[in-house]
Amino acid sequence: MAKTKTLNKRRKSIRSIRKITRTMELISTACYRRAMDRAVNARAFTERLTRMVRNLAVSGAEVSHPLLTAHAEEKNVTLLVLSSNRGLCGGYNGSILRVAYQRWKELLSGEKVANPALVVSGKRGISYFRFRKVQPSQTYTQFEDKPTFDEVDQIAQEYLEMYLTGKLDRLEIVYTKFFSMSKQAVVHETLLPLTEIGSGDDGASQEVKGIAEYDFLPSAESILSEVVPQSFKAKLFKCFLDAAVSEQIARMVAMKAATENADSMIQTLTMAVNRSRQSQITGELTELIGGVEALK
Amino acid sequence: MASNIGHITQVIGSTFDVEFSEDSLPAIYNAVHVKVDKGDEQVTLTGEVQQHLGSGRVRCVALGSTDGLVRGRACEDTGAPVTVPVGPETVGRVFNLLGEPIDGRGPVKAKQRMPIHRDAPPLADLSTKTEIFETGIKVIDLLTPFVRGGKAGLFGGAGLGKTVIIQELIARIASAHGGYSVFAGVGERTREGNDLWLELQEAAIGQTGKHVIDQTCMVFGQMNEPPGARLRVALSALTMAEYFRDQSGMDVLLFVDNIFRFSQAGSEVSALLGRMPSAVGYQPTLASEMGALQERITSTDKGAITSVQAVYVPADDPTDPAPATAFGQLDAFVYLERAISEKGIYPAVDPLASSSRVLDPQYVGEEHYTCARRVQSTLQRYRELQDIIAILGVDELAEADKLVVHRARRMERFLSQPFLVAEAFTGKKGEITPLKETIRSFNEIADGKWDHLPESAFMYVGTIEQAAEQAERMASEAKKK
Repeated sequence: MAKTKTLNKRRKSIRSIRKITRTMELISTACYRRAMDRAVNARAFTERLTRMVRNLAVSGAEVSHPLLTAHAEEKNVTLLVLSSNRGLCGGYNGSILRVAYQRWKELLSGEKVANPALVVSGKRGISYFRFRKVQPSQTYTQFEDKPTFDEVDQIAQEYLEMYLTGKLDRLEIVYTKFFSMSKQAVVHETLLPLTEIGSGDDGASQEVKGIAEYDFLPSAESILSEVVPQSFKAKLFKCFLDAAVSEQIARMVAMKAATENADSMIQTLTMAVNRSRQSQITGELTELIGGVEALK
Repeated sequence: MASNIGHITQVIGSTFDVEFSEDSLPAIYNAVHVKVDKGDEQVTLTGEVQQHLGSGRVRCVALGSTDGLVRGRACEDTGAPVTVPVGPETVGRVFNLLGEPIDGRGPVKAKQRMPIHRDAPPLADLSTKTEIFETGIKVIDLLTPFVRGGKAGLFGGAGLGKTVIIQELIARIASAHGGYSVFAGVGERTREGNDLWLELQEAAIGQTGKHVIDQTCMVFGQMNEPPGARLRVALSALTMAEYFRDQSGMDVLLFVDNIFRFSQAGSEVSALLGRMPSAVGYQPTLASEMGALQERITSTDKGAITSVQAVYVPADDPTDPAPATAFGQLDAFVYLERAISEKGIYPAVDPLASSSRVLDPQYVGEEHYTCARRVQSTLQRYRELQDIIAILGVDELAEADKLVVHRARRMERFLSQPFLVAEAFTGKKGEITPLKETIRSFNEIADGKWDHLPESAFMYVGTIEQAAEQAERMASEAKKK
């Protein structure tokens, strides 16, 4: 009967989908450990660096650095979106891109921003914006599971120069922040100017109480000019690392769910196949017996 | 000529054997009468000769109950097949398959009776024109347009709403239709027949002051009847419809609920007659029986019969021989799907399995055809993606596919429609949507003009503007809460 055949075909295709999702689940489980170690380590470094800059700012009183001050007019705003190159990670890209697209529309409709620019990392994000007829001014696809500092450094350097020369007035980023194994959330942050370093954030505020005495050698400016750009780079790098580990976790969860869905579907289909085969056999048997009876 | 009398020699279920004298055998399909005692009164049982067994014996199928029948009873050959009254005297009445009125309104004084076994009209007389028959039901008009003078089938498993659609079509078409209608109740619930009868007495035809029943005759052979009766009732109704077609030259509507019961009765009779069962236990003559019936339901150059037939699909399996043989005979094919009725979408028409011979730019026009194909391809893509969505979730789809799913889900819901006959159940007024509006609405959905409306706004509305209104109403209700 035709029904058995189509059911069997469907079951076969679901079996191969299951194979893929199961493999992806295993791979992402392996990748996620390494990515998480990197993110956790980087977090310690970034936090320490931020705290140091803040302490310097508090103690040094008249500290000022071009990266810490906002430009008077915000004409050139760049929105950096970190999505993934590969799919099969559930709602990971969808939720980032929803937030990003929303923000992008705000930027376009806002009157203050004359030149909004969109920078997208990851093929998924690129195709998402292309489908909505939005042309990103720049795209990156080189960031995979293990973004290296050198790669991020290059990009960070560009932004620093643009900011200092006034070609860029604000840099915003949309990415998935990694809080813990069970919590990741899409966040929209402003990276440049580095305003939040002056205020309290990153869980370092409790340490500000005891103000350390600093001796600046050779001068406060020379140290700040070294440390502030470094802090920006570390922050940007951290965003990439967070995005990478969140992607792996999202993939792991999505693939686990997908494998389970496929399993339950295979089960129901197997039952349907068996039932239809058995009813076919029963039908043929009764026909045969009926025929024999009629011939008697 | 003295009447030809034989004697019953054997009774098996609803068949019986009669022995006549060798030189006066009744012809095949002749009706025979037997007097049967039922309590104190005597009733006449009619049988139909089916087989000649040799040495003067004939095997007959009883067209009524064989209770109380005994061997040795005298059995009279009427010399002709079963006849039914035809003509204008029959409208407004309810008959059984023998043409006896069963509505308790006294005898029918018809001038003419016609035998229920006749040949199909000859090839040369058949009508060739093709004209679309608008029903005001969106899914039918768009995807499976009916043909005036053609045959439409409503296929579906148990409880999917075949009878409701038939009744809806009667309410929509018959009330706008000037000519005669014939309804054949074949092996379905007696209660449904009674409901329909009462409804037709109330329903008015346009502004003429007449009621639908004044233009309709009904023939019933329902579930409680023996197989012989269910096998012949469709022919009785058809004979009445044929008379209207041939004599009055008017367009006649013929509704049959349910043609599967005809095959089923044939299978029961076949087993009792001792024929060897064929595939899935059906009679070996399944296709020829169906063909003989369906070929008579046709339009000639004298007049047209437009017929709508419900076809039960056993175990939701359309490859079953009974629905499969009926399938080939039809111009429009409406398939009701359980998965759609489970979503609460009525009429539960499967937009991909249903089809129509006239869904072709040559007949329906380029605009209608493209629109129908667009709707079908969107829904087809959605169905292909369904397994992937079930496993991986909608987020994994490509952007273009997400849009297809988005629109397909809206179209799917927009194919539902409130029915005139279901007003009491749904609390919504029935909607008659003109074909032009239907095409425009679906084109706009496909173009993405209504992407912003929530899915539930598309349920049970007529035109797309009503969907927008419903969305607004839902939003304001949500605000109140």
